[in-house]
Amino acid sequence: MLSALIVLPILGSLLLFLGLGGRKLAVALAGIPLVILLLLFANFDLQAGGLQWVQRWDWIPSIGLSYSLGLDGLSLLMVALNGLLTLIAVLTAEPEVKRPNLFYGCILLMSGSVNGAFVAQNLLLFFLFYELVLIPIYLLISIWGSPKRDYAAIKFLIYTAVSAIFLLGAFLALYWLGDPHSFELAEIRIASLRPAAQTLLLLALIVAFGIKMPLVPFHTWLPDAYGESSPPVAMLLGGVLSKLGTYGLFRFGLQLFPQAWADLGGILAWWGAIAVLSGALAAIAQKDIKRMVAYSSIGHMGYILLGMAAATPISLTGAMVQMVSHGLILALLFDLVGLVERKVGTRDLNVLNGLLNPLRGLPTVSALLILGGMASAGIPGLVGFVAEFLIFQGSYQDFPLPTLISICGTGLTAVYFVILLNRTCFGRLDNRTAYYPRVHGWERIPGLILTALIVWFGIQPMNLVKWPQPLAFTLSTQVAQAQTLILASAGNLAPVTLSGADPGNWETSRN
Amino acid sequence: MSLNGLVTTAWLIPLYALVAWAGALIWSPGITRRTGPRPAGYLNALMTLVAFLHTVGALVAIWDQPAQVIRLPWLQVGDLVLELPLQVSSVTLGACAVVTGLNLVAQIYGFGYMEMDWGWARFFSLLGLFEGGMCALALCDSLFFSYVILEILTLGTYLLVGFWFNQSLVVTGARDAFLTKRIGDLLLLMGVIAIYPLTGSWEFEDLAAWAEAVQAGSATVDPTLIALVGLGLLAGPVGKCAQFPLHLWLDEAMEGPIPASILRNAVVVGTGAWVLIRLQPLYELSPTVLKVMLTIGSLTAVGGSLVALAQIDAKRALSYLASAYMGLIFVAVGTGHPQQAYQLLLTYAPAMALLVMAPGTVIWNSITQDLRYLGGLWSRRPISGLCFLTGMAGIIALPPFGSFWVLTDLWQQLAQSGQGLWAAVVLVTNAVTALGLTRVFGLIWGGKPQQMSERSPEVHWPMMLPMTVTMGVALHMPMILAVLGLIPALEGIPVAVMTGSSLTGIALGAWLYLQPQRRPVDWAFLADWQDLLANDFYTPKLYRASVVFVVRIISEITALFDRYVVDGLVNLTSLVVLAGGQVLKYTTSGQLQAYVLTIVVGVALLGWLIL
Repeated sequence: MLSALIVLPILGSLLLFLGLGGRKLAVALAGIPLVILLLLFANFDLQAGGLQWVQRWDWIPSIGLSYSLGLDGLSLLMVALNGLLTLIAVLTAEPEVKRPNLFYGCILLMSGSVNGAFVAQNLLLFFLFYELVLIPIYLLISIWGSPKRDYAAIKFLIYTAVSAIFLLGAFLALYWLGDPHSFELAEIRIASLRPAAQTLLLLALIVAFGIKMPLVPFHTWLPDAYGESSPPVAMLLGGVLSKLGTYGLFRFGLQLFPQAWADLGGILAWWGAIAVLSGALAAIAQKDIKRMVAYSSIGHMGYILLGMAAATPISLTGAMVQMVSHGLILALLFDLVGLVERKVGTRDLNVLNGLLNPLRGLPTVSALLILGGMASAGIPGLVGFVAEFLIFQGSYQDFPLPTLISICGTGLTAVYFVILLNRTCFGRLDNRTAYYPRVHGWERIPGLILTALIVWFGIQPMNLVKWPQPLAFTLSTQVAQAQTLILASAGNLAPVTLSGADPGNWETSRN
Repeated sequence: MSLNGLVTTAWLIPLYALVAWAGALIWSPGITRRTGPRPAGYLNALMTLVAFLHTVGALVAIWDQPAQVIRLPWLQVGDLVLELPLQVSSVTLGACAVVTGLNLVAQIYGFGYMEMDWGWARFFSLLGLFEGGMCALALCDSLFFSYVILEILTLGTYLLVGFWFNQSLVVTGARDAFLTKRIGDLLLLMGVIAIYPLTGSWEFEDLAAWAEAVQAGSATVDPTLIALVGLGLLAGPVGKCAQFPLHLWLDEAMEGPIPASILRNAVVVGTGAWVLIRLQPLYELSPTVLKVMLTIGSLTAVGGSLVALAQIDAKRALSYLASAYMGLIFVAVGTGHPQQAYQLLLTYAPAMALLVMAPGTVIWNSITQDLRYLGGLWSRRPISGLCFLTGMAGIIALPPFGSFWVLTDLWQQLAQSGQGLWAAVVLVTNAVTALGLTRVFGLIWGGKPQQMSERSPEVHWPMMLPMTVTMGVALHMPMILAVLGLIPALEGIPVAVMTGSSLTGIALGAWLYLQPQRRPVDWAFLADWQDLLANDFYTPKLYRASVVFVVRIISEITALFDRYVVDGLVNLTSLVVLAGGQVLKYTTSGQLQAYVLTIVVGVALLGWLIL
């Protein structure tokens, strides 16, 4: 089942690379995984909570590489987001895109490898997929982007290479320092590691995944990469690839190092708050709508970090929901910004004007843009609010000040989206230049699908929130136990209460 | 279906409007081209009518009955269980009746006012959104969901003010309305999140019970914390009710269409007051919060009514009065008179609606809202003139009309409990409002016709009918109060004082503005004060020089820092690497001797290090 999610898109990409098909085949190939996803959702056991559809096959035992897969609530949401956004990206692509087979093939190859990373339960396997993603994405940026695409692609590649070095270093250290030596996620024990070593490894992972998310100050590849790539690619970069970073932090940071995570919680919360503020403030100063949306992404990663730092069940659920919500909203915004650019021919805030005009503007696109901007700014009734509210509510008691600062950040988000909307949608259309091509029905479909999901999950959040909840509870108990251990060792609490709790063996109990 | 069925299905009341709202969404420009824009408006008005009838039926059924609570599940994460509690009682249904009734009136008025507009679907669906939101707010019994609704209405305000989006003033007005209200909303959100760990619930009854427990000493709370939380919870209503310093948006919102202004001035600003009244027990826990509330309220009440005197725009003269009356509600809540605050909301709404509707008809076919170019309409437009006078009588303390009973009762309570300062605020606001409204009446209906009112007949029925119906409601307000048992026992002195203050204002206004020959009020000693008031105490400039400036500078600096320092470092690193490569490539010269030399030096170094 899970292998199909990886293999089908990759096989599909090979078909396309061999020159078969074209757009229709690509749409079909991107649509098939959605059927599998529906089956996964239907058969996912919410009561059991832990890993499901576990499978393992020793690939190269001598180096500890095994093909071992498994799926829990977070992975489920992530592969679902990936599957959906892949289809949306294929639908968003221009029909007359140059070298279509290579383009769609790269998208499918990327999608399959990302799925692999989301379900991999072996560190090396994860790393393999994590690196495999880079090849198609580098091509996607450097062949189909805007004029500065080469610079953006190289910058992205170098940044991610650094990320990979840190990641591989941390994984190797885990293997050698751990007892037994294993890359198998379920078998890794870090209890024998000194706290300092744990913190160091965690920091390496935070840098590795922080570059991928990206977190301030590792973010400067982002505005270039998102801004210079074509809309479908920007969608996948922001909607799916950045989730590899947050997912990695969950899976290998929080889950493997609960104690070090608890130690660093305060710093991470402040880090998140600073990311929120600096992302929003930098976005206000942008003059290009695509870069503005790109910067909005930096701020929203800050909320996820804040929610993870607090590590309460509510805040962790919020952070996972935010991963989905950010993916949906960012994809919608990039889709619409791309449509505006394609029809109007510019992304410059000083040139755009009056697109809400019902006759000669782009009324539907503008209306959806308003909705997308408001969703990003956290207006209730849309999915962004659910995520942000859960994060704030869950983090407030542990980290009141960073939480309040992040709430101010949502206010600043509203500021730049109002600037964007006022300049782009409102205002008077210039009669001399307003001869824009029509927006076709099929061009609206991706935006409408995303909008429907954003509204639906905003009104009925349980449909989204229930999936990652069990995992959020497990993780937060684990961190809480680690915290009480710290307190106990400091003599603040009688260690008797914890005699049965071994933070190391929870993983096996979940299998 | 019996009437009780209407009570148990009261949760439908907000939904009717949302159904119409969703229906109007399909009137995209494509469909409008085929059907014209009108069906969307009729659909909305029909659903509003249904909602109104449902509300009235349910109100009859629940009269004298205990309140019922309906819970709709929304979200559950661990121990955080969020259900939308809807409290169905005679008070909440009464509020719904006011909202749906006034919305119906405003929509029919809109049929006339927006006759030539193509944006009906957008306009009426937004009115529907407001109706649904306000009904939900009235019924909703939870602070959290009140916040949710207020925030959605903030978005509604943005879109409704920005309705005629190709005018530049509208665009800035919409922006300012959204952002100032959002500031209030976010501070409210901070309060909402911060209060939960203290109370463990967001339902108003639980909050009141907790506040009582704190007062009684059975629960404790840090005074600084509760003061900060209280200030956060106060900020939401301050933004919604357009109180100083977040009052700017209401004035700029007047760039929107008049039917929306009717609704906004009469009931939308009241949403903040509604939440304020329900949170009153919490505010009482902190003397600081009460002081801030009273200061803000009284500054806005007196300041707003004074600023209204200096406006030459008919709608703006009225918008500041809306702020001023909400200020009075702040004063009433701050001094512990929530009952009077509720009643003032009731008597204020139809009167304010009339005050906007009557000049609205004039603006519609005189094509100006500049008071300097209007005048002399009493002989041509007596009905709208009478409506304006009724609204004016209904909003100031003029016996026997509606607000007289509430304002005089409030003054009496304040004076008797020795809160003379706040009693004076009520008195002055009332007098200045009377003066301001007489001024507007004089400038539109009094004197000789001016250039824009030479040919100005009464307008067509879709605007006249709702206006006269509202006039009937406003005239019946004392009877409604009597039926509700809300006529207070008033003593002679308060009645005399309040009536006197109204009459003084009217007399002064009549002397200044109701002369057959219009004389401009341009005395030299007043000039600076007039400028100060006409410019709203220079608040817009103050904002531009402070908050807006600071945010802009900081964001520019952040962007520059990002570009030149953070990214600069990255690019510098890559430059160094590139340059290093450029230099090092010359070492690969192809000369065997050089390679051997390198190896020898290397081995020597290594040997030296090991030994």
